[in-house]
Amino acid sequence: MSGASPVGDFLKGQTRARRGDLLIAALGAASATAAATWLLGLSGWFLAGAALAGAGGPAALQAFNYLLPSAALRGFAILRTGGRYGERLWGHRAALKALAALRPALFAGLAAAKPAEALSLSSGEAAARLVQDVNALETAFVRRAAPWAALAGAGAAGGVIALASVSAAGAFLVGLGLQLIMGDQLLRRWTAEPGRDALRAAGRLKDGLAAYLPAAAELRCFDLTAKAADALMAHDGALSAARLQSHDGLALVSALRAALAALTLGAVAILCRHAPMPLAALALLAALAGMEGIGGLLQASADRGAYAEAVIRLDGMLRAAPSPGPAPPRDAMLCLDGQDLRPGTRLGITGPSGCGKTSLLEALVGLKPAPPGRLIIDGQSVEHEPLGWARPLFAFAPQDARLTTGTIAEALRLANPEADDDALWEALGDAQLEGRVRAAPQGLETWIGDGGEILSGGERRRLSLARAYLRPAPWLLLDEPTEGLDRDTEAEVVAALAVRLTRTGQGAIIVSHRPAPLGICERVVRMGG
Amino acid sequence: MIAADPGADRRLLAALGREAHTPAAALSALTVVGAVGAGGFALALAFVLAGPGRTLALVGFITALAVRAAADWGSTRLSSRHAARAAAILRRRVLVALLGRGRGDAKGIGEAVAAALDEVEAVEGYFSRYAPAAREARIAPLLIAAIVALASPIAAGVLLATLIPFAAVMALAGGAAGVEADRQFAALSRLSGYFVDRVRALPVILAFQAEAAETARVGAAAEEVSARTLSVLRIAFISSAGLEFFAALAVALTAVYCGFSLLGLLPFKVPETLDFRRALIALALAPELYAPLRRLAAAYHEKQLGEAAAARLRPLLEAQAAPEPDPGDLAIPEPCAPAVRLSGLTLSLGGTQLGPLNAEAPAGALTVITGPTGTGKSTLLAAILGLTPASAGQVEIAGHALAPGALAKAAWAGQAPAFLPGTLLENLMAAGPDVTPAQALEMAERVGLAKALAGRAGGADTVLDERGSGLSGGERRRLALARALLKPSPLLLLDEPTADLDAAAEAEFIALICGLTPERTVIVATHSPALARAADHVVSLT
Repeated sequence: MSGASPVGDFLKGQTRARRGDLLIAALGAASATAAATWLLGLSGWFLAGAALAGAGGPAALQAFNYLLPSAALRGFAILRTGGRYGERLWGHRAALKALAALRPALFAGLAAAKPAEALSLSSGEAAARLVQDVNALETAFVRRAAPWAALAGAGAAGGVIALASVSAAGAFLVGLGLQLIMGDQLLRRWTAEPGRDALRAAGRLKDGLAAYLPAAAELRCFDLTAKAADALMAHDGALSAARLQSHDGLALVSALRAALAALTLGAVAILCRHAPMPLAALALLAALAGMEGIGGLLQASADRGAYAEAVIRLDGMLRAAPSPGPAPPRDAMLCLDGQDLRPGTRLGITGPSGCGKTSLLEALVGLKPAPPGRLIIDGQSVEHEPLGWARPLFAFAPQDARLTTGTIAEALRLANPEADDDALWEALGDAQLEGRVRAAPQGLETWIGDGGEILSGGERRRLSLARAYLRPAPWLLLDEPTEGLDRDTEAEVVAALAVRLTRTGQGAIIVSHRPAPLGICERVVRMGG
Repeated sequence: MIAADPGADRRLLAALGREAHTPAAALSALTVVGAVGAGGFALALAFVLAGPGRTLALVGFITALAVRAAADWGSTRLSSRHAARAAAILRRRVLVALLGRGRGDAKGIGEAVAAALDEVEAVEGYFSRYAPAAREARIAPLLIAAIVALASPIAAGVLLATLIPFAAVMALAGGAAGVEADRQFAALSRLSGYFVDRVRALPVILAFQAEAAETARVGAAAEEVSARTLSVLRIAFISSAGLEFFAALAVALTAVYCGFSLLGLLPFKVPETLDFRRALIALALAPELYAPLRRLAAAYHEKQLGEAAAARLRPLLEAQAAPEPDPGDLAIPEPCAPAVRLSGLTLSLGGTQLGPLNAEAPAGALTVITGPTGTGKSTLLAAILGLTPASAGQVEIAGHALAPGALAKAAWAGQAPAFLPGTLLENLMAAGPDVTPAQALEMAERVGLAKALAGRAGGADTVLDERGSGLSGGERRRLALARALLKPSPLLLLDEPTADLDAAAEAEFIALICGLTPERTVIVATHSPALARAADHVVSLT
């Protein structure tokens, strides 16, 4: 984890913020492991002691204190249970809360990124990052308590083995250390790549599916559904191969670890051979239970590949939102390609496709860098100001009429969360969509499907217009506002727009290749010769 | 909507497991080997501590642990492979079902993507972690108890008795966790859907300065996922804790019973006499008896998630289960161009109604559907293709009622096409089995793709991905159009094919499709007056 990693810094901050939960989890992990070690060790000691006392006659029997050990056994049983519960619940709680804070931060980071970068991230890939990558970080966060469990196991077992033989305790610690080093090294080697590959394959799978879904019917038409599924299953194959490789690595390491553990126990048994039998039983059983404590730490080693990849993938998304500084005043003068526009002016822009009309509008709203020298707002060249600096001045209806999934009211309120129903109806009326929405049984609450898919192209365009109307900005930016509309509807939309502009006093910049919307403009410029 | 039916979800998982060839015999054998290894370990431990034959016992001790480790290793490998097979079968089925959905499905892309990945992953976890743990938990404890009984029947009885409350805890926790797991999936699916949608709509969100509000909504959805997950985990952890407690209690009880028995201080008479070796065997095996159950409890969460995922996927899979009829039985007789007749056709979409419509697209003619925006031109095309169910009336093709597979027999170019990963040429040739490269290239030129091909280094070998990256929106539509025209189908449906063409290109295109009749019936939805003038027949929607 390098210091320059925003996700690393975020996690560090979350570690501090969740200190209380993490402390409880660490205490729980440590006490559960220590209690489990002592529970088994003490049981062995108790049995061996009882056997000797039982065989040693009444005097030995009298001297054997059985009340304290049996009470301690019950105590350790409860401590182990409670400790484990505390470790799991508080560890996961800390992780879930930390990562719930990461998800909106990622979205905010995406929104703050340069639009070209943010928009190049496909929706499927975005979903993979939000779910799979964040889950990989969550898993790592949960394992924060693992070193404490390992330490407690080593300490609790080492301490009681030393009662039987100090050299056996040394052998135990060496054996445990070897298991840890061997496991960590091998797991890094065997699971780093598959962990990374699994996350990448999951991203590709989601990305490919998100691309195919909108065209599902077309795939069926050309009998390509099976081939499309094959193409996606190639990513599934990569995902499953990576996952198997990880599982296999982990399984082999735990087998090797068990072999090392057996040798360690053998060494402890040999070194304890001169100790009294109850102490030897204590040492051997405590060693057996104490070695379980490093399991979590090794699991964390196995997850490291996925963790590192998730950090790399998410680092690109997480960045602080730049503060755009004060916006230009609402009555600012605009200047486009030498055309001075005072507030309330209506400018039409026309020209062949590909001449940059849309880019110009997108540059005004700050979705693209402004071309040098062509756009001036309030005397400032737009290209010298931060992207999005002048956004408050504009209400934009883009060419692709992108809508958000949800109800009609939700789609509209994106532009103005405070707008009441009357305002929504008024905007729908001006966009010539009121009748259509009134006719729907659920009115404003009509569900419009994924990105408005149940609406026709023309309805989507008019809903996008209504949305722009709702934003109380001094300028409307309309990109091909009547494309896809028939002549009559177009005439009604344009007439209502003219009335609306007069009423609100808003200015408008209208890009179109059709005469009707350009007809309500005071000036029309032709771009691209 | 399919009603909740946990039995059906479990049957679905069981059938899937069988289909992926559960290595049942091998897993059971390995479980037995593992249990025998554990028994050998306990026996050897007793002799290591109490003699005689300590050296031999030490060798046996290490061997027994190695045997158990090898059995674990083998069963992990077997079950992870089985889980991978099951996940692949399920994922293909889910993908095919998702790609076979109709228009206007309530689930958005984000939710569908979550189903294909996150929910199938949960089923993978069910098979790789829960299923082997469940198998082991059914066999190993009884085997270990039998081995304990050889040393001390009473201790074995004590251990078995502690299993009863354990089973009760698991059953109680299981019912509550199922509901919570379903809620967790619903919340995750919602978050995923929400995020995907808002990423797609990012330009609009930025333009309307709604970043803060949308971030807050993503945050609320993420909080919900976190709260739901914690509810599931809390139940899983409580049941694990209950189990841990009984496991610890079993060790403590065994130790106390054996200790008091060795001391001769038992307050009741038992029909057995213990020595230290027997007592130690019983004690060393007590945690072994519970180990499979602890693993089961740790994996119980995977069971809940797997079953909840199966419940969410089942309606999708069952809807898919009705097979499309064999293309040989379809209503479009080949090779002559069919007439398409709409009789009393009524369609409902999004709260409004289209129709009842009575119209005909004559065989071998160019029919244009015109009408104001929003009157349902695209919906009507979808209905002719069988993508949108009619609420009344019917579509007849060549005198037969529309069969479910009509889509596969027609050629169609919609407004948002997709492609297969591969070259541009391969995508064109996918139009039909007999399309030659020369035909494909000629058609690409005729629809106006010549400039696009010449402008790219790879030409027709330019590699596309699923979304046709590298092509402009207009070029993608040209490509889809060329693909539709190349398909040797007697019925051709085109949606706004000239939307982004200038007048000259439009005229060329009109000449191209007029040349397709009378071999084909062509139906075009359009606003273009020029195209309407060229049509043999016009259907006006109002």
